[in-house]
Amino acid sequence: MSPQNAQTDHTAAISTRGVTRDFPAGQDVITVLHGIDLDIRAGELTFLVGESGSGKTTLISIMCGILWPTEGEVQVFGTDIYDLTDTALVEFRLANIGFIFQQYNLIPSIDAAANAAVPLIARGMAVEEARAQATEMLDALNIADQADKLPSQLSGGQQQRVAIARALVHEPRLVVCDEPTAALDAKSGRRVMDLLREVAVAEDRACIIVTHDNRIFDMADRILVLEDGRITHDGKDMPEEH
Amino acid sequence: MIWIAIRMLTGDRTKFYGLLFGIAFSTLLITQQLTIFVNLIERGASGVYNVAEAEVWVMDPVSRTTDIAYAMPTTALDRVRGVPGVEWAVPHLRANAAVRTDTGDLEQVAIIGVDDATLIGLPKGMVEGSRAVLSRPDSVIIDDVGTTRMFPDQPTPVGEVLELNDQRAVIRGMADSIPSFTSTVVLYTRYSQALRYVPGTRNRLSFVLAGAADGVAAAELARRIEAQTGLRARTRDEFAGDGVDFIIENTGIPFNFGITVVLGFIVGVAIVGLTFSLFIRDNIRQFGALKAIGVTNGKIVRMVAAQAGMVGAVGYALGLLGTVAFIWVFGSDPTFKGFYIPWQIPLMSLVAVALILAITGFFALRNVLRTEPAAVFR
Amino acid sequence: MALLPRNVSFSRQVLPIIAVAGLLAAVAYIAFGLPDRELAEPAEKPAHASGALADAPRVAGSGVVEPSSEIVDVGSALSGLISDVRVQPGDRVGQGQVLFTVDDRAVRAQLRQAEAGIGEARAAIAEAQAAQRTAEQQLALYRSVEDAAAVSRAEVIQAEGAASAARTRLELAQARLAQAQAQAGTARTELGRLTVRAPIAGEILAVNIRKGEYVSTMGGQQQPFIQMGQTQPLHVRVDIDEDEAARVDLGAPAWVSPRGAAERQVEAAFVRAEPQVVPKRSLTNSAQERVDVRVLQVIYRLPETDGLFRVGQQIDAFIPARVSEPKRAEAASE
Repeated sequence: MSPQNAQTDHTAAISTRGVTRDFPAGQDVITVLHGIDLDIRAGELTFLVGESGSGKTTLISIMCGILWPTEGEVQVFGTDIYDLTDTALVEFRLANIGFIFQQYNLIPSIDAAANAAVPLIARGMAVEEARAQATEMLDALNIADQADKLPSQLSGGQQQRVAIARALVHEPRLVVCDEPTAALDAKSGRRVMDLLREVAVAEDRACIIVTHDNRIFDMADRILVLEDGRITHDGKDMPEEH
Repeated sequence: MIWIAIRMLTGDRTKFYGLLFGIAFSTLLITQQLTIFVNLIERGASGVYNVAEAEVWVMDPVSRTTDIAYAMPTTALDRVRGVPGVEWAVPHLRANAAVRTDTGDLEQVAIIGVDDATLIGLPKGMVEGSRAVLSRPDSVIIDDVGTTRMFPDQPTPVGEVLELNDQRAVIRGMADSIPSFTSTVVLYTRYSQALRYVPGTRNRLSFVLAGAADGVAAAELARRIEAQTGLRARTRDEFAGDGVDFIIENTGIPFNFGITVVLGFIVGVAIVGLTFSLFIRDNIRQFGALKAIGVTNGKIVRMVAAQAGMVGAVGYALGLLGTVAFIWVFGSDPTFKGFYIPWQIPLMSLVAVALILAITGFFALRNVLRTEPAAVFR
Repeated sequence: MALLPRNVSFSRQVLPIIAVAGLLAAVAYIAFGLPDRELAEPAEKPAHASGALADAPRVAGSGVVEPSSEIVDVGSALSGLISDVRVQPGDRVGQGQVLFTVDDRAVRAQLRQAEAGIGEARAAIAEAQAAQRTAEQQLALYRSVEDAAAVSRAEVIQAEGAASAARTRLELAQARLAQAQAQAGTARTELGRLTVRAPIAGEILAVNIRKGEYVSTMGGQQQPFIQMGQTQPLHVRVDIDEDEAARVDLGAPAWVSPRGAAERQVEAAFVRAEPQVVPKRSLTNSAQERVDVRVLQVIYRLPETDGLFRVGQQIDAFIPARVSEPKRAEAASE
């Protein structure tokens, strides 16, 4: 597990070195990422900002182990995840990464508690126990009273909270959040960001939020701007041109 | 994860019931058609199975089935009796005759002459009257299905007087028997009586029925009889098989039913396949999310297998129940008299259902497994 | 689903329960609905070889019970009305015992007539003898007269003629007596023939005539008047298919059982085999006879039984087969 590369930052939760990704497009090959070198620290709310087509989805996919880079390596908490076998990588994700999808992707036919408990159930925990644990998490998100309802019976905000609960229920060390405020008005968006800051940010947990919602940029601890497959800005605040 | 898979499946009621219907319908079609097919061709063996006592049937070498028999001289009986290992042997006459009913109608009937002394050759059970009525002069016993054909409006045929070959025949009982393939009316009478009812030909002994002595297998006995007498001897099961083969060779039944069964299978594949793929496509985002979260392909396969298994098990059970209900409801109709479901047929339809689900599940799974987990970010 | 105690799911709970119940019901129906194709033991045992013959080479045959004398169809020599029947079926009779008599009035009248003829003839003889005596005395008297004038020549000739005529009349009367006596004898014989007697000792099997019926000696189709035969002992005539005939162990006893009572088997001693192989006679009430099968008839003597066998009854017989040398070797090796 010891990092081979001398340049690796040992304090970093995630570090990418020379991550390049090509996509075939007909006869041509489009390079979406151009050798990204990046270190994400734990305990911070990191924003990944970029226009559509800037490659931020590709980058985040690579960072959380669901898309193979064409070149380069990714270390998540000291593990070179693309060195793992397929199955080991899947299990690594299950153990270490929490996902909050933009569309939530809740399972429509199981209730809120069960949806929140999916990562625990996937680990093999008994359904009863997993639900109890998930209900506690829902309680922390103030929607314990909705635990027995199906996603279709919940409001959008409640569904999002269930999705957040699902991302956090197994206490992952990396939380990835895709456009959490895209569908919300400014006020709700800020409330969600407050909530995320409250429950997701922890001492030994990295939290990456993919967004291009400029209404919430002020809530970031760190903002990374991606343009045309390259990091063009890295700082506490957004550059002026945005 | 199975817990989740089942809920995913039953959550979408329309598709769940669509899948159940597809499986149940296929099961029903395959099981029911195969059942009717088997029962229909086994009608070719009903003449053999109706005689419960005979272990070996002895006949002229050119005889083929119970209905296609070339008569032998009466001494054939004694020749069979002379074979070591033959515990007993009795004469058995089967012939066709035309009968004049009370109302003057002409009906083709099968006359079965059973051994005078022991009445071996009669069906096991009686619906009305007892076997002993044959000891009275001019007595015949009619079969129950034949009754419905010959006396459709009467509560009982007992007491009816028929005219057979210028002889008087009084129906004095009704036997519980499986009808033949053609559902010909069958009249049972004593051998000596049957000779009077059947227009004379020189030889009229159609069969000799034989029982094996203790410790002699029927097949061995048949071999010995053939060797010693030069007649054709078939064990009960062999002869029943001959009757079935005859129907298979001489009718289009296997082909027609085969088509229906194949259609049932295709309909099953179509309905189940389409519905299942729709179901999987609807849930593809959920599966993708699960894959991203960290569910291995193996577990995904198990989930889909569980879904297919549940649909298969419930649908199969309902389809089988439907078949049983069909046979049960129509079992009282004379056309379906004696119909039963051979235990092999539900197993065959189970295999068919498993095959349908394996085929459709395979294509559905291919979609799921192909899904890139990264797709969830798009 | 203990998780949703109040919320019972139809799809996940009720349906699978229905499915399982339905499956069990179907299995039960299929299991119990299977047709009854069990072999059954015959309720009544048909004829079968038993004891030593059960598994040994044997020949089976069927036959008919007959008296040891075979059946005697008693007939009548003369036609006529039956005046008396002296026996009934089942009677045991000795040889010569009267069975029935035919009306004898006509014959008796003839006899009386003949007897009257005898009396008349005897009277004629007496009369003729008297006339002869008279004529001869007269002739002797004429011949003793010496005086030729006393008796004319013509008178002598007349006396000689009278004596001769008387002699002839006597002869005639004697001939008539012989004739009348012969007629009487004929009538007596006829009278005897009108009484039918048992030709042998035995049992009356059938009496087909009644008092007052007319018996005719003409035409052959009618049934015999009286059938009788020696039924102590009874014999059975067993028909053996000519194909099988060579296998029969002639001389060995047969096991015989009557039709319908196969379990009552008796041992019957060999009597003889008929020298001629004959066409099989069908005993199935059928008008036609089967001519394609010829049978060897073998006769066995039945032991004394209490009415088990009756004349004319059909029987099934099992006879040991003659074991040929190669077969014997085969049997030993088995």
